[in-house]
Amino acid sequence: MSTATAIRARDLAKSFTVGKVSTRVLEGLSVDLAGGELTMLSGPSGCGKSTLLAILSGLERPDAGSVEALGEPVWYLNRKALQRFRLHHIGFVFQGFNLFPALNAVEQVELPLSYLDLGAAETRRRAEAALEEVGLSHRRKLRPAELSGGEKQRVAIARALAKQPQLLFADEPTSALDSVSGQTVIDILHRAARQHGTMVLCASHDPRLIAHADRVLRMEDGRVLADEYHPHPAVAEEPVA
Amino acid sequence: MVALARKTLIYEWRRYLPASLAVAFSGMLLLVQLALVFGIFNGAAVYINASRGQIWAGYPGTQSIDLGRGIPRDTEMHLLADPQVAQVEPFQWVNGDWRGRRALGSVSVFVSGVDTAPDALAFARVIPPTLRALLNEPGAIIVDRADLPKLGISVGESGILNGYRVHLVGTTNGLRALGGVNIVASLATARRLNVGGDPRPAYYLVRLRDPGQAAAVAARLDPHGSERRYSVWTASTLAARTVHYWLFETGAGLGVVFMSLVVFLVGTVITSQTLMGAVAGSISEYATLNALGASRRALSRVVMEQAGWVGVAGLVGGGALSALALVVAHSQDVPVAITPLGTLACALLVMGITLLSGLLAVRTLRNADPAKLLR
Repeated sequence: MSTATAIRARDLAKSFTVGKVSTRVLEGLSVDLAGGELTMLSGPSGCGKSTLLAILSGLERPDAGSVEALGEPVWYLNRKALQRFRLHHIGFVFQGFNLFPALNAVEQVELPLSYLDLGAAETRRRAEAALEEVGLSHRRKLRPAELSGGEKQRVAIARALAKQPQLLFADEPTSALDSVSGQTVIDILHRAARQHGTMVLCASHDPRLIAHADRVLRMEDGRVLADEYHPHPAVAEEPVA
Repeated sequence: MVALARKTLIYEWRRYLPASLAVAFSGMLLLVQLALVFGIFNGAAVYINASRGQIWAGYPGTQSIDLGRGIPRDTEMHLLADPQVAQVEPFQWVNGDWRGRRALGSVSVFVSGVDTAPDALAFARVIPPTLRALLNEPGAIIVDRADLPKLGISVGESGILNGYRVHLVGTTNGLRALGGVNIVASLATARRLNVGGDPRPAYYLVRLRDPGQAAAVAARLDPHGSERRYSVWTASTLAARTVHYWLFETGAGLGVVFMSLVVFLVGTVITSQTLMGAVAGSISEYATLNALGASRRALSRVVMEQAGWVGVAGLVGGGALSALALVVAHSQDVPVAITPLGTLACALLVMGITLLSGLLAVRTLRNADPAKLLR
């Protein structure tokens, strides 16, 4: 387990302009995030959670400020280098599962791995292992249409974890799921942080998730209002069925 | 490597079917219009294509076979002097004016005067020896079955041609001309019908001992210098000259090019719209893949591969549709002809449609912005 600083963000500012109205979403926000921790980003809609997630993960350029991820100045990289950085170090789990309808579970996981040039055997091994980790080995030949919402999200998580990223970003991963599936997803994310030393940053409204987080950042109006550590959160260490 | 493009095409085939159909129908339109134009204008070269023999000699520089003029009779001797030449046969060309029944007025006709020997070369592919023998009777003529209504007679009846009475001894198939009616008669009958015209034959047909030598022998026999009195072509060269002349003289060639452009445009619009719709339908999945590190180039490859497969399916479908259309046309005596070069050109245009559509669909990938997945 690593507790080294994985992400160091300083003085982030971002505003969006719609028509003639400019809205400030982030105002001088600074934050450090550590590996091996599951950090929750909570707050009301429009408080800037998703924007912060997008800026820290290299998807959206800030108007001002800097982001250093794994020692790399993310926003000084060109588009290609940034893409390569995301490929090798970052995993994403989105609210919509965004799975290709034509592919079965194992192929969904293999797809992003195939851009890492690992070779067919290693790609398959990692995909199978990731599905095992989210408890879906027995469903690996099924397409999204044959999976439940919770299972789809677990496939999406396996797709993100199979790359063995040091940074994992999740946006409302449980909001479309029932309570049992939501709990399962939370446990998986937590285990990813604990066992692989991954920095997991999760934007969510879900109060269940808060109880499981190592750290909770409460945001409002583009600022962090509260930064709380939960030293011993409940963890389900046994594999998910 | 996960075959995303192919698996998606198979799984969501309904989504891609309109694109493949657009490509298939574009291909069919391109090929059928080309086949029709070639079919119609091949009629201008029917004298060559329906005859045997590998070489034709005619008036110097003749652009189309129907523009032939008399050439010296000693041409036959010059041709026979070549050791490769096995047989030489005169071909008379007479323009005529036909009067059948009064109600039909007069009809422009082209009279071909041919040898009546059983092994004669002219029209040997469409007039069998027994039918040809009937031409020995003075005033006997043969026409295409499809031209009977134009002439207003049937077999056994007679009409007036250039002021002489001629009678129809038989009909055949595959003699139809462009812009008039073809009438086949013996050389003797043709000479009688040739009132005030050049009495010399317009062409000599040549059969070679080795048909494979046609190009070399034609080059050898073609007289050089400014005082040459005749030209020598291979049969296929003269046929191509004739078809070209008609294509450009009538403006049909330009029509084909214009029509092909229209088909290309329509095919591209429909195909690209379908592909763009398919890309737009999977835009979140593409954006996710991009977020996870797949490059734009890699995503573009997926779209282009899909376009390629759509093109291949369209090409196969278009080929089948075209074959069907050509078979139906053939059975209804609609003149159609395809050439390997024409078919290749159509296939290339069809692949051009898919390539361009694919490139247009790739532009839709610009909307695959992973940051949008977080809003």
